[in-house]
Amino acid sequence: MGISKVTDELVLMVRSIVGAEYSNMDIVRALHMAKNDPTAAINIIFDTPGFRKPEIPKKPEPLNRNLSPEPATAANPSVNGTDDHDSKAKNQNLKVEDARCSSSNGCSSSSSMGSEWWLVGCGEVAGISTCKGRTLKPGEEVFFTFPVERKSSSPSPGKSGGGRGRQVSSSSEIVRFSTNACGEIGRIPYEWARCLLPLVRDKKVRIDGHCKSAPPVLGIMDSIILSVSVYINSSMFQKSHQASLKAASNDESVIHPLPTLFQLLGLSPFQKAEFTPGDLYTKKRPLNLEDSFNVSAPLLPIPKFKSQSTLDGSKMENEESISDNDLDKIVGVADSSELLEMEPPSTLQCELHPYQKQALHWMIQLERGHCLDEAASTLHPCWDAYRLADKRGLVIYLNAFSGDATTEFPSTLRMARGGILADSMGLGKTIMTIALLLTHSERGGSLGNQLTAQTLTGNGEASLISDQSPTAKKAAKISGFEKLLKPKSFLTCGGNLIICPMTLIGQWKAEIETHAQPGTLSIYIHYGQNRSRDALVLGQSDVVLTTYGVLASEFSAENADVTGGLFSVRWFRVVLDEAHTIKSSKSQISMAAAALVADRRWCLTGTPIQNNLEDLYSLLRFLKVEPWGSWAWWNKLVQKPFEEGDARSLKLAQSILKPIMLRRTKSSTDKEGRPILVLPPADIQVIYCELTEAERDFYDALFKRSKVKFDKFVEQGRILHNYASILELLLRLRQCCDHPFLVMSRGDTQEFSDLNKLTRRFLKVGQDIVDGQARDVPSLAYVEEVVEELRKGEVGECPICLEAFEDAVLTPCAHRLCRECLLASWRSSTSGFCPVCRKMITKQELLTAPTQSRFRIDIERNWVESSKVSALLHELEILRLAGSKSIVFSQWTAFLDLLQIAFSRSDIQFLRLDGTLNQQQREKVIKQFSEEDNIMVLLMSLKAGGVGINLTAASNAFVLDPWWNPAVEEQAVMRVHRIGQTEKVMIKRFIMKGTVEERMEAVQARKQRMISGALTDQEVRSARIEELKMLFA
Amino acid sequence: MANSNLPRRIIKETQRLLSEPAPGISASPSEDNMRYFNVMILGPTQSPYEGGVFKLELFLPEEYPMAAPKVRFLTKIYHPNIDKLGRICLDILKDKWSPALQIRTVLLSIQALLSAPNPDDPLSENIAKHWKSNEAEAVETAKEWTRLYASGA
Repeated sequence: MGISKVTDELVLMVRSIVGAEYSNMDIVRALHMAKNDPTAAINIIFDTPGFRKPEIPKKPEPLNRNLSPEPATAANPSVNGTDDHDSKAKNQNLKVEDARCSSSNGCSSSSSMGSEWWLVGCGEVAGISTCKGRTLKPGEEVFFTFPVERKSSSPSPGKSGGGRGRQVSSSSEIVRFSTNACGEIGRIPYEWARCLLPLVRDKKVRIDGHCKSAPPVLGIMDSIILSVSVYINSSMFQKSHQASLKAASNDESVIHPLPTLFQLLGLSPFQKAEFTPGDLYTKKRPLNLEDSFNVSAPLLPIPKFKSQSTLDGSKMENEESISDNDLDKIVGVADSSELLEMEPPSTLQCELHPYQKQALHWMIQLERGHCLDEAASTLHPCWDAYRLADKRGLVIYLNAFSGDATTEFPSTLRMARGGILADSMGLGKTIMTIALLLTHSERGGSLGNQLTAQTLTGNGEASLISDQSPTAKKAAKISGFEKLLKPKSFLTCGGNLIICPMTLIGQWKAEIETHAQPGTLSIYIHYGQNRSRDALVLGQSDVVLTTYGVLASEFSAENADVTGGLFSVRWFRVVLDEAHTIKSSKSQISMAAAALVADRRWCLTGTPIQNNLEDLYSLLRFLKVEPWGSWAWWNKLVQKPFEEGDARSLKLAQSILKPIMLRRTKSSTDKEGRPILVLPPADIQVIYCELTEAERDFYDALFKRSKVKFDKFVEQGRILHNYASILELLLRLRQCCDHPFLVMSRGDTQEFSDLNKLTRRFLKVGQDIVDGQARDVPSLAYVEEVVEELRKGEVGECPICLEAFEDAVLTPCAHRLCRECLLASWRSSTSGFCPVCRKMITKQELLTAPTQSRFRIDIERNWVESSKVSALLHELEILRLAGSKSIVFSQWTAFLDLLQIAFSRSDIQFLRLDGTLNQQQREKVIKQFSEEDNIMVLLMSLKAGGVGINLTAASNAFVLDPWWNPAVEEQAVMRVHRIGQTEKVMIKRFIMKGTVEERMEAVQARKQRMISGALTDQEVRSARIEELKMLFA
Repeated sequence: MANSNLPRRIIKETQRLLSEPAPGISASPSEDNMRYFNVMILGPTQSPYEGGVFKLELFLPEEYPMAAPKVRFLTKIYHPNIDKLGRICLDILKDKWSPALQIRTVLLSIQALLSAPNPDDPLSENIAKHWKSNEAEAVETAKEWTRLYASGA
């Protein structure tokens, strides 16, 4: 370092005389020419007209190529190509600008070389002599010759294969150096050549050198110490943020030249990347646990994350939110107590909890762009920060993975305006969002919002209105969206778009109407056949509510010449409610969501990860959190390492999420350590019921039969091929636990007591007709066949609706149809043609077939309570006295049918909500249930009740049958235990002892572990087989 | 979208058409509109249309199955009951429609119509006249058209 130090001092000295318009390079060169005599150097500078034009006439041609400043680039006015959004980067650029301005004052013709090339650093290179007898004096300047790239076998810089192969391939990678006096002297070592070569070729880097020490007379292979200065061309940063897919998809062993060069120069980052390829690939370097800001990840043992849950599982006391806990382990819970609060505008007509005010502040901050200070100043974990040796104090950031370099501070939060509000269920994400809507709502891309517009232009996502060029429609950068790349004439400016599951539309509308001061937010519901396609209509409203279904269908219809719709609007803000709906990244819904054009994007979800870490990718893509929106990056840096069991990838995921996700749970605490939300306690119990003796017999018979079948599959090793049939077997067993009737209804023989009577009557009708039109009478054989079919309880289907008969009728011509289908096919209400044989028949002639119920037996007359039903009725009876409302969940609507009978008999007033209801009917049911005091029970299918619905009018929930995925169960139950609930909540789950239900509990617990763990395909397969074996054990 | 409110019956019919297609007939719904089907019918053996692949379009109106589907040949065909726009003269597509009929039965009927042209109930007068006056020549023309328009494609 001795020489370079001296040089630095000399440079300073010369500079103090000649002024700032001469760059370091110029001065260094002058010093070289003056043999480090500062006075002589100053004379050279002042005496040589146009000194900056390098005039080294003796220099051989190839040297010229590398050494001379490129006039073309030098003349390039945009030296600092960094499109900065970051104030820090701005400052740096200002400095560069200063330097350039002053230098151009001095000599306007071609003066910007100095600011174009930034000194990276100086170092020593141990060159090897290739000559004999020549001399090299210390301090003598050397010139480097780089081999010309050969088209045919272009050497790849990263290749480092050993042995002979290397010898051959590297012949074109030799970098030689020479002096003006002697010609070629020697060459530099491979490791230098390898990283310099591509960089110099691309004119990204240049290198100057002089001899530091060498033997007085050189011999072959003598070692020559060169002192080199490496400069980097600022034009390299013009395309700073192009996180290139190419780099990410490269072979993993690729050595990136720039980081390697930095390493060779002995530069060390003043701020290290938290994650380097080395960490992920070699797994050698232990993670510095003390430094890590999020301490939960280090708990994870390596390599298998799944074992972590078991580990933690033992420590978990909080039974209430098992899956929440797991989720928190994965994504981390924000230490939200530090967040500032923000008062909602007066147009919000309800009081916010302090933590909700924090969320409002957080959301507004994120939308503003210069996000939370912390987020903006958190270095992106893949980047190293280097301070250049250049006097201008430049900082360069290198991506340890891609080799990309930038001058702009790569914060973890890139481009995204918005984020994930992942508060767990029941904390009021809806109301927080409404507060956000009220606090700040405009129209997308409006000029009043300069900051947004600029950033988005930089992002390439959308541009200012005044610049609605075809290229502006780049929202669909994701590959495969060719149809969206079609030029679009222009986008209408729209307000807020809220996308939610169908069940929640009404609730969103109701909540906005209740909580927003009338007139502050206009709402338009974009749903149904007759919805408007007119972008102007969509743009008019402050809030447009729509469903994922509509979104997907308008997305897939985009190629049609349909103009208008959701994709013709540039939204001010898009909010995805229950955003995990888009979790599978290849689904239409997910791609559709990502293709929306919006200035601000939010995901609301209590479960940002449902099954797999991959779920996150879809959200990040929607949010445009670069570079994670590109699968290559996500897969390389997070997904794949995660699947390989590297827990660090999880930490990376956490650090990506940290600035853009806010997650609090019901057990989160505020600054004073108090819980942020005081909900009435929830009491969760499992009620274990015993089968009655009769039920036990029936169940055992069914189980034995199922097990024989299952064992056969096991024997054949074809469990997974018969997955569907096995699930069917299980289904019967599970239904049997609810009520044996459910299984009997599935085709088990049951005699109809009145069947013979029916046959008689039927044949009698036939005979009556025989007198009149004999040829129209169905043959006796045919009638007998039909009756036999009825007797056997053959399922059959209506020829019109193609469904199992509902309220079937028999025509005189012995055709069976649903009564409603038949009557609907008639023009007149009293008579018409038989749809099957076109015979004219009248309504009076129709016979009611005995299969009107979905149960083969007359369940009302032969009603028997199953022990589970009895247990439920017992519970409800107690609650009726207390006047406390309940929700009863089952997975099977047929069981709900049975429960209706039981409730009617016990005189319990109830309502029913299942998948057959349309949106309006659902809303009506929920309203009625909430408002009418005499209605004690809401029967609900688990699926219909899964999301969003607010049922706090009830304070009890009964889950009658366990569901495979405990998260679904939990979600349903949390409809009751959520904000707005004032009573103590009681949740009871029913499990039949000694049945498949009990074993399912074990499987559920297992699943809980699997949800958080990374399993390979093979493991998933064997896990599934394991589970099934557990169930039939 | 039409797809979101697709009646169960249409879904069921579609599934069955795809899972157990009728011989010589393929019908698949359009991705954009599940009520619109792209249909292909192979010319029946021992008919002038043998060896031809005929494309048709089939659309299920809003009232379906209470109203008949709308079917039209897209491939040019020389047939007395099919006009140059591809419209088909078939009673079950008009007044004899019954909701107990299905897409499958309709297409089978059309296939049968190819086997047995009915020049007495013509839609295309010229072709019917040709058929009645010189059946052998008309059949030759039909074969020629099949080769010209319905092969390969």
